[in-house]
Amino acid sequence: MDKVMSNKYVIALYVLPALLLILAIIYVPIVLTGYYGLTEWNGIGAMKFTGFDNYARVLQDNAFWQSAGHSLLLAVFSAVSLFGYLLVALVLSGKVKGANTFRKIYLIPMLLSSVAIAQLWLKVYHPTNGVLNSFLESLGFSNPPAWLAETSLVLGALFIPILWQYAGFYILIYYAALKNIPASLEEAAKIDGANAWQIAFRIKLPLIMEVIKVTIVLAVVGSLKYFDLIYVMTDGGPNGASEVMASYMYHQAFRGFDFGFGSAVGFVLLLICLIITWIIRKLTESKDTIQYS
Amino acid sequence: MTKKTVTSMLLLMLALTVVLAGCGGKSNDGGQAAGGNENAADSGSKVTINFMHLWPAGSSAQQNKLVNDIIAEYQNEHPNVTVKQEILENEQYKNKLKVISASNQLPDVGVTWAAGFLEPYAKGNLFAPLDDLLSGDLNGQFVSGTTEAYAIDKKTYALPIELNISPIYYNKAIFEKYNLEVPQTYDQFLQVVQTLTENGVAPIALGNKDRWTGSLWYMYMADRLGGADTLKNAINRTGTFEDPSLIQGAAEIQKLVDMNAFNKGFNGLSNDEGKSEFMNEQAAMYMMGTWELPNFTTNPDIPQEFKDKVGFFKFPSVEGGKGDINSWVGGPGVGLFVAENSKVKDEAKAFVNYFVQKWGEKSVVDAGVIPATKVDTAKVELPQLYIDLLNELNNASNLTLFADVQLKPDAAQTHLNMIQALFGKAVTPEEFAKKHEEAIAEGN
Amino acid sequence: MKIVSAGRLPAEQSYEGKSGLGKIGVGLLYVVLVAVACLQVLPLVWLFIFSLKNNQEVFNLPPFALPPSPHWENYAKVWTEGNISLYFFNSVWVTVISVVFTVLLASFVTFAITRMKWKGSKLVLGLFMIGLMIPIHSTLIPLFSMFLKLNLTDHPLSIILSYIAFNLPITIMILLGFYYALPREVEEASVIDGCSVNRMFFQIVLPMTSSVVATTAIINMIYNWNEFVFVNTFISSDKFKTLTVGVQNFIGQYTTDWGAIGATLMISILPILISFFIMSNRIVEGIAAGSVKG
Repeated sequence: MDKVMSNKYVIALYVLPALLLILAIIYVPIVLTGYYGLTEWNGIGAMKFTGFDNYARVLQDNAFWQSAGHSLLLAVFSAVSLFGYLLVALVLSGKVKGANTFRKIYLIPMLLSSVAIAQLWLKVYHPTNGVLNSFLESLGFSNPPAWLAETSLVLGALFIPILWQYAGFYILIYYAALKNIPASLEEAAKIDGANAWQIAFRIKLPLIMEVIKVTIVLAVVGSLKYFDLIYVMTDGGPNGASEVMASYMYHQAFRGFDFGFGSAVGFVLLLICLIITWIIRKLTESKDTIQYS
Repeated sequence: MTKKTVTSMLLLMLALTVVLAGCGGKSNDGGQAAGGNENAADSGSKVTINFMHLWPAGSSAQQNKLVNDIIAEYQNEHPNVTVKQEILENEQYKNKLKVISASNQLPDVGVTWAAGFLEPYAKGNLFAPLDDLLSGDLNGQFVSGTTEAYAIDKKTYALPIELNISPIYYNKAIFEKYNLEVPQTYDQFLQVVQTLTENGVAPIALGNKDRWTGSLWYMYMADRLGGADTLKNAINRTGTFEDPSLIQGAAEIQKLVDMNAFNKGFNGLSNDEGKSEFMNEQAAMYMMGTWELPNFTTNPDIPQEFKDKVGFFKFPSVEGGKGDINSWVGGPGVGLFVAENSKVKDEAKAFVNYFVQKWGEKSVVDAGVIPATKVDTAKVELPQLYIDLLNELNNASNLTLFADVQLKPDAAQTHLNMIQALFGKAVTPEEFAKKHEEAIAEGN
Repeated sequence: MKIVSAGRLPAEQSYEGKSGLGKIGVGLLYVVLVAVACLQVLPLVWLFIFSLKNNQEVFNLPPFALPPSPHWENYAKVWTEGNISLYFFNSVWVTVISVVFTVLLASFVTFAITRMKWKGSKLVLGLFMIGLMIPIHSTLIPLFSMFLKLNLTDHPLSIILSYIAFNLPITIMILLGFYYALPREVEEASVIDGCSVNRMFFQIVLPMTSSVVATTAIINMIYNWNEFVFVNTFISSDKFKTLTVGVQNFIGQYTTDWGAIGATLMISILPILISFFIMSNRIVEGIAAGSVKG
């Protein structure tokens, strides 16, 4: 058994194509990004090697740390909302009549491109004739806020569409994981007299723990480098109140022509992701992996 | 699945890997294989000019058609030349320009913005100087002062094809309803704002998410208070943003915000959204460049009754200020560059030369774009609003280029962010000035 | 497959309450489920209405109000605007190739990492995970210059390779959780039967994981279909561009034709909606197939 499963030739065949591909297409840029970060470069003409100047600048840059704070906040919200997605997936994977249809419908927003989602939510948040404010006014609030223009509200207002945008993604993964649990397990539990909640929390959740751990990492890393909707809906504004790390990097490199500094920001973003992922892995480490039996 | 198919699939993958693995080793022998087209520029032989621009057929049908017409004519006259277009939308265009210039792969001809945007490209020797064209056919054809915006160290790196000024458009019907006159002085203007807010009409439509939109207002304040040179000097470092008139200008902006002069939530709205407040007659005034004119004259999608209501006035003069009411914020918009390392540089220059002239003859009539070359208003048939504004342009005592274009890219970012902060009252006028000083000092 | 379907509990049983409270609970659950479902369909309805408006109506009318005269010409405009069918075709084949390769390669890697024993598997997994963390905008300049040296700029391979590479990490991460949960007995049994690793992978493991394979395929498909940064940067010829470029066609220097953008988005969402519905069934069938073997 062990001999078959550690056949070097097969392992190489299975791993190398993908590995070489990401080494070429992801690692070369990562290394180069790290290197650009060591230079003063406007993207045109000669690079001037400046050592760790840019990195020092990033670490001392209040605007960067403010954006990092926003990204972290988004990461926390995304991780917490996983619980909600899990709940939806549990319900849908149960034997609810029409679950199949519900599941498909629930995932529809996931198919929309960010361009469409951004336009939709801009219409929701419009200060005077937006869906939300029209609704609030009909409830008797005389002067509802301009959601995307108030520095204190804008971040929260952006998180909602972002979390909503990804709901389908996680529900889909959880659903597939739950559906992968052999039906025999559930039947056995039922015969033992377990109710729906017990089956869900005592049997199903432990079995998909590995999947849940993975989604936590995905949600956190995805949030830390999140860019799309923020870029379209507020462009980091007003006054930097919704700037996140990736949009800050973009603004520095592409708008400000400060590619050296922008690259340093990109690289620090990568390091922050690494550290946080490592912490998550440590926190969620378990001795055994539970398998279906 | 049989073993055979598995094996062949794996082989396929391996082949893919080999292709990719090649990139590590091969990376140097390519050298500067620039240009991207294999046409050697032997005179008379076939030549392809790559032309990258930002007028897609969908959104800019008239500009797109004009470009295609000019290219077709040019190719007719020069059968050996093919002009190949690549079209990207504004934002993507800027991004791509940035990426390809890092690899020195600019198209032979492309679109650029003036001053601060152009400077890194010019200093990095990516754009070719076009002064020979200026002293040739095009001598004297440009409105004076327009080509200077594309000059770095006395060389001109692009030729402008657009010229804009920014008036305040207003809704005549709303003004009439509240018995308002077009304001000549800033005090009268404030009176107008006051009356409109009292009657529940948003005085000014503004979408300040885009930030350059608010910058227009600040620039006029600065101009009317400090005169045309104060802001220019602050930017070119012979002066300072901490000049009392510039600080006062910032303070006046916040006073307008306090008066609720701008539509609700302006800092969270894009220019398109802000503009719609004016277009649907919920706001009475809207300051924007003359590129907006087709919407008030020729655009068939917009009801004629609305178009008839639109008039314009100049930003009023301020009592005690040094500015002149005929001084405008505006200037040339986009221009054409030729890539310095283009393999077909001479042909590309000839094409630009031709393009600028033809564009100048037709753009205002065909596409509603005011060119940077002189337009004889007597010769062309135009809506009255165009004629009036073209006349204003001819009488302009000064044109101040948009601040975010004048400034270097990173300082421009600070300026724009500060504009949003100023309008959102997140900074005081003094801090506003100080941040500008810091950002510009850093860039030098 | 039928074996498993037959083995499933009848639909009503699992939430069948033992008391009246349970019944009310089930009723409430359905009310919530239906309400959420309506909410999730609204974006599509909105997009459709949006696509029938002109610029004035997009901004003036409430989002869900139909314009007085629907602008069907937006669709005509988008369709006749040339090249849409070409972009469409490009989108399809680029997406299909990328998805197939990503999912297959990712399955290989995940299988080797989770089921096979070798030194360095942790390191390789780490390398893939780091691949998740790089923001794409910081890769554009180095990638472009790399493709340039390989003569791959303005070549569909540049975007296909980028799609595969950038989607591999996330695909592997998703597969990972599922592979960990597969019972060891599977390999043991097949090794005893004298199966080669290849046969085990293709005949047993891949079918067993087909529900997650379908899941990752859907996710990959959506990502690739909507991607535009790489296309814009690496591709300059019209003949290789994809549908997302169609949206750009309506964004101008100073004005944007929002209705036409809505129509383009509407057209481009249809194929993905249909394939999503089809593939989404695979998730359920996948379980059936998996359970037979398990």
